[in-house]
Amino acid sequence: MSRPSVIINLTLGLLWFIVHLAINFFSLWSHLIYNIEYYLISFGLFPKYRKFQLERLKYLAVVVDIREAKNVAKIKQLLCWLSTIGVKYVCLYDIDGVLKKTFEPAINGSRDVNSGSYLDVGANMKVLTCCQKEMTVEYISGSDGKEGIAKAANLLCSTYFNGDKDTCGNDEIVFTEADMSGALKAIGCGGPEPDLLLVYGPARCHLGFPAWRLRYTEIMHMGPLNSMKYGAIVKAFYNFSKKYQNFGK
Amino acid sequence: MLPSHCPAATHQLPTSACRRTSPAALPCPRAGASPVAEALLHRGLRAESLPRHVAVVMDGNARWARARGLPSSVGHEAGRRALEEMVRLSGAWGIRALTAFAFSNENWSRPKVEVDFLMGLFEQVIHDSVANFLREGIRLRVIGDRSRLPVSLQKISREAEEATRNNSLLNLTLAISYSGRREIVQACRKLAEKVQRKALRAEDIDEALFADELATGRASDGFPYPDLLIRTSGELRLSNFLLWQSAYSELFFTDTLWPDFGEADYLEALSSFQSRDRRFGERKL
Repeated sequence: MSRPSVIINLTLGLLWFIVHLAINFFSLWSHLIYNIEYYLISFGLFPKYRKFQLERLKYLAVVVDIREAKNVAKIKQLLCWLSTIGVKYVCLYDIDGVLKKTFEPAINGSRDVNSGSYLDVGANMKVLTCCQKEMTVEYISGSDGKEGIAKAANLLCSTYFNGDKDTCGNDEIVFTEADMSGALKAIGCGGPEPDLLLVYGPARCHLGFPAWRLRYTEIMHMGPLNSMKYGAIVKAFYNFSKKYQNFGK
Repeated sequence: MLPSHCPAATHQLPTSACRRTSPAALPCPRAGASPVAEALLHRGLRAESLPRHVAVVMDGNARWARARGLPSSVGHEAGRRALEEMVRLSGAWGIRALTAFAFSNENWSRPKVEVDFLMGLFEQVIHDSVANFLREGIRLRVIGDRSRLPVSLQKISREAEEATRNNSLLNLTLAISYSGRREIVQACRKLAEKVQRKALRAEDIDEALFADELATGRASDGFPYPDLLIRTSGELRLSNFLLWQSAYSELFFTDTLWPDFGEADYLEALSSFQSRDRRFGERKL
């Protein structure tokens, strides 16, 4: 290889290294800025994050990646933070039901039938008292999602054909959204539509959260649960409080 | 307006915080790489890990027009051009399926003038695009509640679907008068009809059978679930779009209004998809 081409290759290599270094530095700097911001929010140093209204947030959902759902301490810390902020109802979801199994003994021990009845929610609920504030927590999994819809369809069909023995083979079958909602409630997969859904995990997906309940839910990706920050949650809630929905109209 | 990549605008952590690899390198074209792969490499993308099915909520036409002091019809026309460009890029980059949310069930509540304009625009777009679809190997499907569409639009949709049914390079699905919940209810009704015909027992209904009856199950020829779902204009919700199908879709929300969504924005979305740790094990989708 001739000397000029060696020099050119070395120069290009050096430029490449500098570009990589600049990108790394910028990434690190951005990360640092955000973490500083979240800590400042946690200490209440930004007035706007202390004074926003949470009335619009009636139902919150949290989706947790299954690899992180086993981190019980973090889940409990998250629930405590949410309660501190003033959240009254949280639906915790992971696709494999790890959270449901982890907290099941506690759910069975402290089930409050009345707290769920007006919410059309199934059995996996408990009323949590944290920092002297009460919060209803619902635990759901993938079996409440697509599997639940399939079971609801099963119920609708069974009810339709068993309920009317004179059903003519040519009758047009009409189901409505209300029928599906009723069927989901009957099998214990009802529940309110969350106003906001926080996703904890590496991928920005809702991981099969019950489709019927996701129509107009705001979805925010929060990153890994292991590195969750109180300030990030407050900021997410603040941003949600500023959102306006026209529901397609 | 903050740039779309700024987490403060999109409520997301910096993408660097979620990357599991080192910052994206710009790989050099390899000898023998196909033209498509080379074109992607020049743009920093790897052909083998592109999403196969991309869905998009084309939001922001009216806001785009209002920001310019123009009527919403101008925004919708600009949105049409953005969709045409996205279809072209998708075909060029080897995306196999593209589902675009053009008109929701809820949009019927908009002013009649706007709705009538949109119906006319859809008819014109489909009519004008068929020749291009045939040339480029694009298969068109329309999903949604067709009974509410003007008869002329129903006719032109059916004809375009029939004319392009043998194409296979790109499956383009337009969701018009579409509602995710309605789609689920319709799937339920179709299953009930099979039970009525004794082709199925009610107790045999499961997730797989249910998924087959969804409109998208038949529309996307092997790619019913989007790998990547893009929503423009800064909104962070699905708005009743692909509720069932989006379980594992990477959600990419950008502040860019739809008429401004171009190649650079599409590349950003695809790059974000490629940088994700998307290991779902052996999960059945």
